[in-house]
Amino acid sequence: MLLCVSVTGETVLWEEMLDALDAVSPLVDDVRPGLAFLDMHGISGRAQQWIAQARGALERFECSVRIAAGATKIAAQAAAYVADGAVCERGAEGALLSPLPLTLLEIDPAIIERLRLLGIERLGELARLPHGPFVRRFGPSAGSWHELARGIDRRPFVPRGHAIAIEASIFGEGRASDEAQVFFALRMLLARICADLECCGKCAGALHLAIELEDGDVCHFDVPLAMPTAHERTIFEMLRAKLESVTFGAAIVGVRLQALRLEEGGEVQALFCADDFDPQRVAVTIARLEAALGAGVARAKTRDAHRLEERFTYEPFNTCRPDRVVPSGASGSGLVPQLRLLEVREVPVQLRRGEPAMVGRQAVRQCTGPWRIEDRPYPASSQSCHPEQSRGTRDEGRDEYDVVLEDGTFARIYHQGSHWYLRGVYE
Amino acid sequence: MAAPAILPDRRERFELLKAELSAKPVRPVEGLIRTALPELDRLLGGGFSAGTIVALEGKGCWSLAAGLTAGMTRRSLVAILDDGGLYPPALVEAGASLERILIVPARKALSTARAADILLRSRICRMVLMPAVALRDAIWERLAQLAHRSGALLIVVAERVGAALSAAAGVCLRCSQERILMHGRHGLWGTVAGFELCVGVRKQNHKVTGGTVYMRVVKETQNVTLR
Repeated sequence: MLLCVSVTGETVLWEEMLDALDAVSPLVDDVRPGLAFLDMHGISGRAQQWIAQARGALERFECSVRIAAGATKIAAQAAAYVADGAVCERGAEGALLSPLPLTLLEIDPAIIERLRLLGIERLGELARLPHGPFVRRFGPSAGSWHELARGIDRRPFVPRGHAIAIEASIFGEGRASDEAQVFFALRMLLARICADLECCGKCAGALHLAIELEDGDVCHFDVPLAMPTAHERTIFEMLRAKLESVTFGAAIVGVRLQALRLEEGGEVQALFCADDFDPQRVAVTIARLEAALGAGVARAKTRDAHRLEERFTYEPFNTCRPDRVVPSGASGSGLVPQLRLLEVREVPVQLRRGEPAMVGRQAVRQCTGPWRIEDRPYPASSQSCHPEQSRGTRDEGRDEYDVVLEDGTFARIYHQGSHWYLRGVYE
Repeated sequence: MAAPAILPDRRERFELLKAELSAKPVRPVEGLIRTALPELDRLLGGGFSAGTIVALEGKGCWSLAAGLTAGMTRRSLVAILDDGGLYPPALVEAGASLERILIVPARKALSTARAADILLRSRICRMVLMPAVALRDAIWERLAQLAHRSGALLIVVAERVGAALSAAAGVCLRCSQERILMHGRHGLWGTVAGFELCVGVRKQNHKVTGGTVYMRVVKETQNVTLR
């Protein structure tokens, strides 16, 4: 037997309600906020007693609740729709469902409208339709609607997971003004957290560290881990790297550490990965670099764009192991000229027959171009990753040239409006 | 019937191919890191010694560094300390896998040194590429020690290698652009395809220095004759 708990109106405290329903049954299926089913198999008592228990558990929430019982989900839900406290006995589902509206099936309103145009407004009318033609007309999911209308419910009961909070804290045990003391306290907390993680067979994917200072301030740090782990040393390394460049305004009086994004235990290990990098070690290094430099470590990505400076973008470095693929592009023994982007600066250029003849004080030995770069947006391209590099150049198109100067410099210059700019040098 | 005249560039390419085919294959030497550039490996006697600072100086050395990066990204992670001049699409053209390149923005000398220090200590990458910055002798020495301990290559690219860097470096290569290579004619109907790069060994620890190698540095082309 299943209990259907349907709450109408405010469902802000839905999680708390589900926690309260745990006292009625250990198996609660959280379908959506406002609708849950309780599996009452093996629990002593009768349907009316269970309904009374569930009502008692939700009494303190002061909300409008309808509770009913049925052999299947659809039967329990239909009973709750008909009357609060109703019980649908096994075998009576068809009769109970027949006069009820199609909205009980929670299907797309557009489909309900189509069915209404065909003269089908009640579940009984839907149940009387021939199964095959109905499914052919409305698609594979129509099969389950048809079965539900006849009181056959094959939907699985999915018990909700129980949240586990793993955290440890130290408060009111003196004050720490030395880095070593803080790290000692962190080690203690981590030992507790890792022991708890091991007991639960879980790994933490992230940590939250809250440090309370003597002046009342609380500093919060989110520490994502490259891979979920319960390894104390790895987590400590990450925490230490995160705190390396932080200076606190007052002595530390409390530390709270919380394990987040808990996942089932076990770490992914790959065979034949001697040359691959260790994601945890990379994550610690990145945290250390970011703490030391104050800037994010990135990975470049190329994209289609007209302008040189818009043909790539940077994104945070992802510490997942990359696929083992031989990179495309050059065959491996070839060298390709590398453009080095320079700070865009204006250069004096003298022309001869419409082509650059002198750049600065250097004569031009070879010149190719111009290539017109219009300022229209490239399909699926967005903002430049280096807006400062293209400042002042967004308004009009430009003509780009590759020039080789008499001192051997091989440069990319461009002409925009009445000015010439140096974009970069091939080296 | 008279044989058709062979174009000089075709003859040159034929000679190059003949020399390449008749050359002895480079066998990997223990403790040496082979680059993906066979000509350079031959010049260096098998590759770079693991855990050394390699200084590249002159014009065209970024192209050589990109070639080294491309080879290394096939095997492991590479870190590049970017002073703002990095152009990743050119690295992709050189064959590098951007997935395996850690780009660390470092514009000041001190932050560049700190970043190199952290990366070498962490031992997460086999190669760290950085532009040369003005650092004290002691800092270069420390970086050399760290590179030696971690077994990673620290490639330092400079227009001109200073005395401090030269002393700390295990290998110093001088690059120069010898000849500009063109596709087509000048103007709208031509492009500068690249250049011929001359690489000479200025310093190599425990080995007799000298010897040069010429390499073509060209943009990706499709059957276009170079001039």
